[in-house]
Amino acid sequence: MTAFRALVRKECAVLFASPIAYAVLTTVTVLTSILFFEHLRLYNQQLFLYASSNMGGFDSDTIPDYINLRDTVFYPVMEQLGLTLLLPIPLLTMRVFARERAHGTDELLLTSGVSPATVVAAKFAVTYGFVLLMMAVSFVYPAGAIAQGGLGLSHLLSVFIGLSLLGMGIASIGLVCSALTQSQILAAATTVGLAYLFYDFGWAHTFLGPEAAGLFDALALHDHFARFAEGVVSLADFAYFAALAVAAAGLVRSALEWRRLSG
Amino acid sequence: MAQAEPPPRDPSLAGPPKSGSPGVRIETQGLGRRFGPHVALESLSLSVEPGESFGLLGANGAGKTTFIRLLTGFLLPSSGWVRVDGLSPSDRARQVQARIGYVPETPRLYPELRVRAFLGFAAGLRGLSGGSRRQAVSEALTRFRLESVEGRLIGHLSKGYRQRVSLAQAFMHGPGLLIVDEPTSGLDPLQREEIREVLAGLAGRCTLLLCTHDLDEARRLTSRSAVLRRGALVALGETAALLGGANPLALFHGGEVEEVASP
Repeated sequence: MTAFRALVRKECAVLFASPIAYAVLTTVTVLTSILFFEHLRLYNQQLFLYASSNMGGFDSDTIPDYINLRDTVFYPVMEQLGLTLLLPIPLLTMRVFARERAHGTDELLLTSGVSPATVVAAKFAVTYGFVLLMMAVSFVYPAGAIAQGGLGLSHLLSVFIGLSLLGMGIASIGLVCSALTQSQILAAATTVGLAYLFYDFGWAHTFLGPEAAGLFDALALHDHFARFAEGVVSLADFAYFAALAVAAAGLVRSALEWRRLSG
Repeated sequence: MAQAEPPPRDPSLAGPPKSGSPGVRIETQGLGRRFGPHVALESLSLSVEPGESFGLLGANGAGKTTFIRLLTGFLLPSSGWVRVDGLSPSDRARQVQARIGYVPETPRLYPELRVRAFLGFAAGLRGLSGGSRRQAVSEALTRFRLESVEGRLIGHLSKGYRQRVSLAQAFMHGPGLLIVDEPTSGLDPLQREEIREVLAGLAGRCTLLLCTHDLDEARRLTSRSAVLRRGALVALGETAALLGGANPLALFHGGEVEEVASP
């Protein structure tokens, strides 16, 4: 446990000593804000058009039900934010293992009496923690504003959990890619490609039958995130993201062990 | 793949190193390591006594670093076996690593950490926490004359100081075996002298395995040495006798050798 704590402290220190952490936090927050205000502007525009064209004012019954803060602003913003995470998260994960290998510090870690599992656990914990922080920072303002518009707290929490799990899912893919190479650029590029592939297997329906395509859909990140976004908290979706994390950690541990055999 | 190994010599040795122990024994028999078709180390058999200062000599690419990595459990042998304090690094890497301090040729450090923070991290990796960690860090700062740079970023240190930090992290937990790989490589004469003084000061406190191609360093710091050439042991004996001939460099390159003890 002492070694785990030491590794976590070191990971945090190295992470926040790098400009990438701040750049990623800032980028996600700014993108969320831009998305939010753009949708809010469109929402206001629609409201204004309906109100002015029907001369009934903003309380008029002529404004359709589907024009509301939840459907016109919050859901599209969260949907697009999920897709937006495909770029900054690989920037975050690319260095985690690849840099250790490139600088030879993995040898320091793996010859200091600490098990590879502890090293992997500490690195995953810090990366997931950072994803949570990133989601919290970018989520607070839109969520706070939308809370005034009638979306319940439990639903907001469900969306936050979904977004965080989606971010962690992408991070899991990124950590595996980082463990397989010493090139940070290669790790980031591979993560973007794989995460994009795993995000939505809609393309599979073009080539495969409904049953096979359905299997791919069950593996897609987006489908599991989408249910959280709808306010549905399902154990199956939790299990999916947990399985993804466990599989990724297992692959990373094997990659570290493989170095003992391959050099 | 590996030859049959003997049983552990003494079950009591399975625990942590005994306090006050002057060092641990290293034994290898038929130890070999291949990387694909390339033979990095071939059938190495030798024994280093507890508390001994032992030199591993050879030109670049002779197999010294491969031998170290087999000792630390970072690599697995392709043939033969190695024991440190009666334990196999292949099977009981963590217990072996708890007995070892390792200083690689290029210091494996985190440039974004400050010296004190890095040493605290190294102590944490070795399972030291609270007061014992603070005490170990303070002692390391004093022993390796790092007090004046304890608050500086490692990335801003000179090569000589970085090497001292690397030595300090390796000696943090009072190892029974200190492995030092080319400790003065790339240093200026003054820095070389400082590092040699530090290493001479550690004599008798643990078993010292010094890998070097610097003959003066070997003469000064080791009592017995082995010479490797292209992965094979070509000479083993008293350092003074091995390097006392008219052309000791011939040992490295395969020229005519005078007065060399046989392996």
